Amino acid sequence: MNEQQLIILEVDRLSVSYGAFQAVKDVSFHVQAGEIFGFLGPNGAGKTSTLSAVEGLLKPQSGRISVAGFNLHEKPLHARANMGVQLQSTSFQAELTVSEIIRLFAGIYGLNLSKEEVAAKLTEISLADSAEKRFGQLSGGQQQRVSLMIATIHNPRLVLLDEPTTGLDPQSRRQLWERIEAIRAQGDGVLLTTHSMEEAEAVCDRIAIVDHGRIIAIDTPEALIAQHRNDPDVISVSRKGKITLEDVFIGLTGRAVRS
Amino acid sequence: MRALLRADFTTLWRNRRSFRLVLLVPIVIVISWKGLVDKLGGPAVLATGITIGLISIGLLGYSNSIARDRDKGIFQRLRVGPVSSWTIMMSRIIVQIAMVLMMTLSVFAAGNLVDKITLTPLGYVYGFFISVIGGALYLSLGQMIVGWIKNPETVNSTTRMVYFFFIMIGMFAEFGALGEQIGHMVKWSPYGVVNKILAASLNPATWSTQTTMALLAAIGYTIVFAVIGIKWFKWDTK
Repeated sequence: MNEQQLIILEVDRLSVSYGAFQAVKDVSFHVQAGEIFGFLGPNGAGKTSTLSAVEGLLKPQSGRISVAGFNLHEKPLHARANMGVQLQSTSFQAELTVSEIIRLFAGIYGLNLSKEEVAAKLTEISLADSAEKRFGQLSGGQQQRVSLMIATIHNPRLVLLDEPTTGLDPQSRRQLWERIEAIRAQGDGVLLTTHSMEEAEAVCDRIAIVDHGRIIAIDTPEALIAQHRNDPDVISVSRKGKITLEDVFIGLTGRAVRS
Repeated sequence: MRALLRADFTTLWRNRRSFRLVLLVPIVIVISWKGLVDKLGGPAVLATGITIGLISIGLLGYSNSIARDRDKGIFQRLRVGPVSSWTIMMSRIIVQIAMVLMMTLSVFAAGNLVDKITLTPLGYVYGFFISVIGGALYLSLGQMIVGWIKNPETVNSTTRMVYFFFIMIGMFAEFGALGEQIGHMVKWSPYGVVNKILAASLNPATWSTQTTMALLAAIGYTIVFAVIGIKWFKWDTK
C-alpha cells in the first residue's frame, strides 16, 4: 500500500443515539492520506454527530473508529494526538492573547514553543502583529486562520474541519482553501464538513452525502454528478441548465428545509 | 498539565478584579468584627472570614467560570486534544486551591494587622490545611450546581442565592438569632462544619471529638457533592 492509499481515518459501522433517537445509523467510510474528504448533509442529517464521535466528544452506540491505526476507543489519547480539530464554533479563553493560546495548545500536544517560534507561526498566517491581541479582537477570517494553525500545530495525520469557511468573505475563503490544500499536499488526510457545494466541488477529492443518519452517496464530485445526471429528482431541481453538485445534493436529500 | 496550568493561572491573573472581590468580603468581615474578637475569640473571627471566602471561591468563582467556559465551548476544544478530561478539571481545581491559600493568607494578614490576632505556628499550618479541606467542600458544591444546571445565567443566579443563604443563615445562627433548633441544623450544615473545623484548627488545643465529627461530616458532604457533580456533569450545554 503506498502513501496515497494509506488509510488515515477509518469509520466502520458507526451508530450514534441520543436516547431513543438514532442520529447516525451504521455509517462507514474512510479518509486516505493526501485526501480531502467532504462530509455533506442537510441540518440534522448526522454530520456533526459523526464528527463528534470521530473527535471523541461523544461515545458511539456501536462501531469502530481508527485514526492513524489507533482505535479511538482503546487508545483515545494516541488517536487524538494524531488528529487536529477545528470545531464549528471555536472559542478560546477570552482572557488569553493569541500567542498564549498558541502556546497552550502546542503544550497540550507536547510542543514547547519559544517566543520566536510562536512569532514565526503567526508570520506564516500573516498575523505577526496580532500576537498580543485577544482572540475575540480578531476578524472572522483571522480567527479561522489562527484556529486552523492551532489545529495543525502538531502536524497531525488527520485534520477535521467543521464548516471552516462559514461567514468568511471570498478572499478569506480562498486563502483557507489554499491552506487546506497545503495539508493535502503534505500527505495528510482532511475530513471537512460544509454546507457550501462550491467549496466541496473546489477542494474535496471525494464526498459523502449523508441524510437521516445514513450515507446515501459517496464518490468524487465529478462521479456523483455523472451518476445522477439523468435522475428525475436531480433534473427537477436544476436551475442553470446544467447539473451541479448542489442539484445532486438537493435531488438526493429533498427540497424540504430542515430545522 | 503544565500548559493548562499556565493558561489557567494566566486567566486567573487577568481576572484579578473579580479575585479581589472574592478576597474583599472575608477581609471586610474580619476587619468589621474587630470589636467581637474579645467576645468570640480571634480564631472564631478568622474562621468565619475564611469560611465566607471559601464559599465565595467555590460558588461564585469556580462554578461560574466552569459554567461560562462550558457554554463557550472552551472545554470541548481542549477535549479534542490528547489530554484527559480529568487533567483539564484538575488544572482548574489546582488554580482554585491556590486561590484558597491566597485568601486564607490574606485573612490571616488582615486579622494580624488590624485585629491583632496572632496564632501559634501550628495554628497557622493547620489553618491552611483545613482551609483546603473546607475549600474542597465548597468546590464540590459548586461542581454539583454546574452538574445540575447547564445555563450559565441560571448557574450565576443560583450560586448567588446559595451564597447569600449560607452567609445570612450561618451568621445569624452563629449569633444565636435563629433559635436553638435552626442553630443546631446550621451547626451541622456545610457552613457550620467548615466554620467549626477551621476555628478548632486555628487553636489546636480546642480540637475535640465534636470537631472530629464535624471534620468527618465535611468530608462526607464533599464526597456526596462531588459524586453528584461529576455524575451529572456534561461538558457542553447542547
